Amino acid sequence: MAKQLGFHHDASVCIGCQTCEIACKDKNNLPVGLRYRHVWQFGGGKWVTDAGAGNQLVPSSVFVYTLSVTCMHCADPACVKVCPTGAHAKRASDGLVLIDRDKCIGCRACEQACPYGAPQFDAVAKKMTKCDGCVDLLAQGKNPSCVDACLMRALEFGDIAELRAKYGDNASVAPLPNQSATRPSMVITPHRYSQPSGSSNGRVLNAPEAG
Amino acid sequence: MLKNDLFTNNLAETILNRRSFLKWSAVLGGTTALAGPLGIGLQAASTSAQAATKEGQWIPAACWGDCGSKAFNTVHVVDGMVVQGGTDDTVKDSASCPQLRACARGRAQRTRILGADRLKYPMKRKNWAPGGGKKELRGKDEWVRISWDEALSIFASELQRIKGKYGNTAIYSPTPSTASVYTEVSRTLSLFGGFISDYASCSSGTWTDTGVAIGLPRSRLNTGEDFNDWTDLPNSQLIVLWAYNPAWSRAGYPSYALLQAKKAGAKFICVDPFFNPTAQAMAVDSDDWYPCRPATDHALVLGMAHTLIVEDDPKTNRLIDWDFLNRCTVGFDKDHMPEGADPKENFRDYVLGTFDGQPKNAEWAAEICGIPAARIRRLALQIAKTAKVSIMMSPAPARVNNADSWPQAITTFGAMTGHMGKSGSMVGSDGGHAWLAGGPPIVYGGTWIGRPSNFPKAPPVKNPIDIRINRNEVWQAILTGKYTAGMNKQADINIQMLHFAKTERINQVAGSVKAIEAFRKVEFVAVQEHFLTSTAKYADLVLPATTLWERYGSLSPAYREQIVWTSQVIEPLFETKDDVWMARELGVKLGLDPKAIQPYSPAQDIINQVAAATIVAEDGVTKEPLVTITEEDLRTLGVEGKPQKGRIPILEFKKKGIYHVPRKPGDKYTFIMLKDFRDDPVKNKLASKSGKIEIHCQTLVDVIASRGFSTVRPIPTYNRPIEGYEDTFSDWDKKIKGPYPLQFIGLHVPRHSHSMFANTPWLREAFPHMLLINPIDAAERGLKEGETVLIKSRHGKVLRNVRLFDQIRPGVVVMGEGAWVELDDATGIDKAGCSNVLSGAISTGQGHQGWNSTNVQVEKWTGAPLPPDHKWPQRVVALGGDK
Repeated sequence: MAKQLGFHHDASVCIGCQTCEIACKDKNNLPVGLRYRHVWQFGGGKWVTDAGAGNQLVPSSVFVYTLSVTCMHCADPACVKVCPTGAHAKRASDGLVLIDRDKCIGCRACEQACPYGAPQFDAVAKKMTKCDGCVDLLAQGKNPSCVDACLMRALEFGDIAELRAKYGDNASVAPLPNQSATRPSMVITPHRYSQPSGSSNGRVLNAPEAG
Repeated sequence: MLKNDLFTNNLAETILNRRSFLKWSAVLGGTTALAGPLGIGLQAASTSAQAATKEGQWIPAACWGDCGSKAFNTVHVVDGMVVQGGTDDTVKDSASCPQLRACARGRAQRTRILGADRLKYPMKRKNWAPGGGKKELRGKDEWVRISWDEALSIFASELQRIKGKYGNTAIYSPTPSTASVYTEVSRTLSLFGGFISDYASCSSGTWTDTGVAIGLPRSRLNTGEDFNDWTDLPNSQLIVLWAYNPAWSRAGYPSYALLQAKKAGAKFICVDPFFNPTAQAMAVDSDDWYPCRPATDHALVLGMAHTLIVEDDPKTNRLIDWDFLNRCTVGFDKDHMPEGADPKENFRDYVLGTFDGQPKNAEWAAEICGIPAARIRRLALQIAKTAKVSIMMSPAPARVNNADSWPQAITTFGAMTGHMGKSGSMVGSDGGHAWLAGGPPIVYGGTWIGRPSNFPKAPPVKNPIDIRINRNEVWQAILTGKYTAGMNKQADINIQMLHFAKTERINQVAGSVKAIEAFRKVEFVAVQEHFLTSTAKYADLVLPATTLWERYGSLSPAYREQIVWTSQVIEPLFETKDDVWMARELGVKLGLDPKAIQPYSPAQDIINQVAAATIVAEDGVTKEPLVTITEEDLRTLGVEGKPQKGRIPILEFKKKGIYHVPRKPGDKYTFIMLKDFRDDPVKNKLASKSGKIEIHCQTLVDVIASRGFSTVRPIPTYNRPIEGYEDTFSDWDKKIKGPYPLQFIGLHVPRHSHSMFANTPWLREAFPHMLLINPIDAAERGLKEGETVLIKSRHGKVLRNVRLFDQIRPGVVVMGEGAWVELDDATGIDKAGCSNVLSGAISTGQGHQGWNSTNVQVEKWTGAPLPPDHKWPQRVVALGGDK
């Protein structure tokens, strides 16, 4: 099997500090509006009255966890499938999904197709853009910027087969879609209270369009 | 030629050289953010690919936010242009010697320092005239660009005029945080005859005076706060995160240190109205979350103490560490009172209600703190029955009106359970209030967070005036001419000039609306700043300062094990000047000796600091010089000094920028707070009057009385706070809610370090500045996710969009503190969401800032929805009268 690079994220230690996101913006000179990495905050539970305590409100199964997500460099990438010009392609040497800007016509089909929100529209260049795994740093034998920025050492990058051998093969954690759809090159160590993909127990707490 | 990015919020970046920027700003009058898609649209790696063709250099770069944390930042500078940021890669990352990785703010630093909203020229208010001119226009007047000569002449002539008319006590020039730290210009003002300053514990809350009074050792920041060494944390079986959220309030290393304890098997509990990210990462279970109401922690801990007192049996159910209480404390019960004290005034009888008829039992506490009595008992027993417990607190519960007895109460509970002075056990507030650095530094040197040097090798400069007004009273003092100078003592004061440097007083002191009123009353306001902050915006004269990236360097301690030396990254932008230069040149205008103000050069100052830095040897005692210096090094650096032998060559340290001391468990640096005292309290007396931990503390009574605001008893009674939970009711006994039925707390958030970074578009985008509200409270008000609300308090009104959050206790709303106030004079509404518009300047007890006791109401906003602030224009100054 061809080599495939990917990420491991340890949601059990993530504090949701978004340092990965900002280190990525710095590395890639991203304007406001483009966010290659996004940290999802997913939580649930409710408050109930405790009849045994004079009907005081108490928390019941309240939980929250965070997931740091970027392009999954999927084995079966939806963006590659829908791209009409072949601008989206998997690099043969390491399986990274890269965008050839010369071929990209900015039709935004990939944006619609990707269930992870990875390809984003650069409104100035009128082309799509996304995480490229910091290919230049990889070429220098370094990690992607986000990985070495992580305050909790919750991100790792490498051969996905090795990462799966270490951490298992779960990337189906809410609010992400089930991994069967695109076979993402990512492994998640779940949080104690992680919910499976599609779970109705909980909701996204930091919808990016809010503010 | 200097090249730099100038970041705006609607561009990726605008890579321009300085000359072209000057031209553009002349064309545009500096009124709008620069347009033009220069440099945008590069495929992900191309910027670095371009940079890679030229080697450039990585420079250790300062990050000096007063965030309570410390990390190591670097920047890649190519051809004079900052192309990228970086962080610590100077050591192989390990738990015993972790890389000091920068947080999101540090990683966004270049967009802040090179932001389009940097102040570029000295400027005065258009309608300013000697004496103030149209003072009511402060905050909304136009700005006029002036020369440095004119700026300093205005500053000097107003100083002389005001001094001549009113005397030096008319000049208010508060120091950044504590009275002991001067700004650069305060050296000038001291030589000019002095100025008045202020006092108020802001960060440490009531730990500042109370911790010290009851005998807790003075720690790194001279308060009674400390922690055990982080290497000892994994020895704890149970860690109670009491209002403690380092993931946000101590970004960087502290959460990673906690993680090592989690990995070692420690169980975590969270006492906090906010189920915070630290609790999340430490896998706290919902049932182990004790969502105590803000400002009621004291009641909770009394309920816990009552539980132990009534359930303890030294023979059959040992819950209280009587040995520790007997040997190490005074005042717990009538048999252990300090000399001369009324035996009735003891803690045990107060808790039992022996004399006032009100047992402070779990039911009593539950009504106040909102935790059911059964859970209060469970928490008390769990802590008492576990051998090794660390109660780790932030000072948040001490930043509450009338909370002077809180540190004494939680310390008493710690003493009762005996979780003190032992490996794996502690009851402490915020690691010496600094950086999880429980224990003394291993590396000494430099100044905190970029604070100015006091030029230790030169004759000291002293402010001849010792009047300090309580910070909560300053605005009122300006408006009324009176301030509290002690118990039953009101004194006259006539403040006519305000000067601020390195401090943000409109934004970051409770009572922003009153602050603006006071600003508009005085005759002159001068500010040194990097940006048009809230304080600068309401000034008459604004002096643009260089940042630490534009200066020779800075030396700053980090945690116990690291010291950081950062260097100049870029040339000063536009006409910005170093604060030391301003202080000296102002002195020249005033006829003072500039050498007395700046005795030696910035380079000499930093090298002096580096040369003086010391490291504690592996024996844990001996202090040795940190750096080796040769004659050749001194010539290379172009400074004076003497050769010395140390651990690292000075030029290697300068290039690397950081020195780490690796740790291992049980090494000689290991620090267990109060261990010596516990082991032998007779030989190792504390600094309290009795030499013991004072559960009965007359010193505290006297200190509080001397301030003149309120009184406390010698034992830690629950003192109902002004604007606490009880004040959300118009009738507490009948439980009828009043006009401000919710409790508000302003949190340290990742997006700001107080007001610093609040203007940074990347961070505004990443961390929306919203009001967190429980869905129950939202439903009562018909609020949906993302809707705009008006938040009202007794002191002001702000707008925010709401985020519905089950992880907040109902009855409590939460917002980050630090947003730059945008007050509409007509409506009195701040659309930026500055928490100090809501919090009142209320002096209680020791005169600390009581932010976490603030009552509010939240209602649906019927006006236009509020756009997120990353879409707002930046405060780029329109220089109407450019010359």
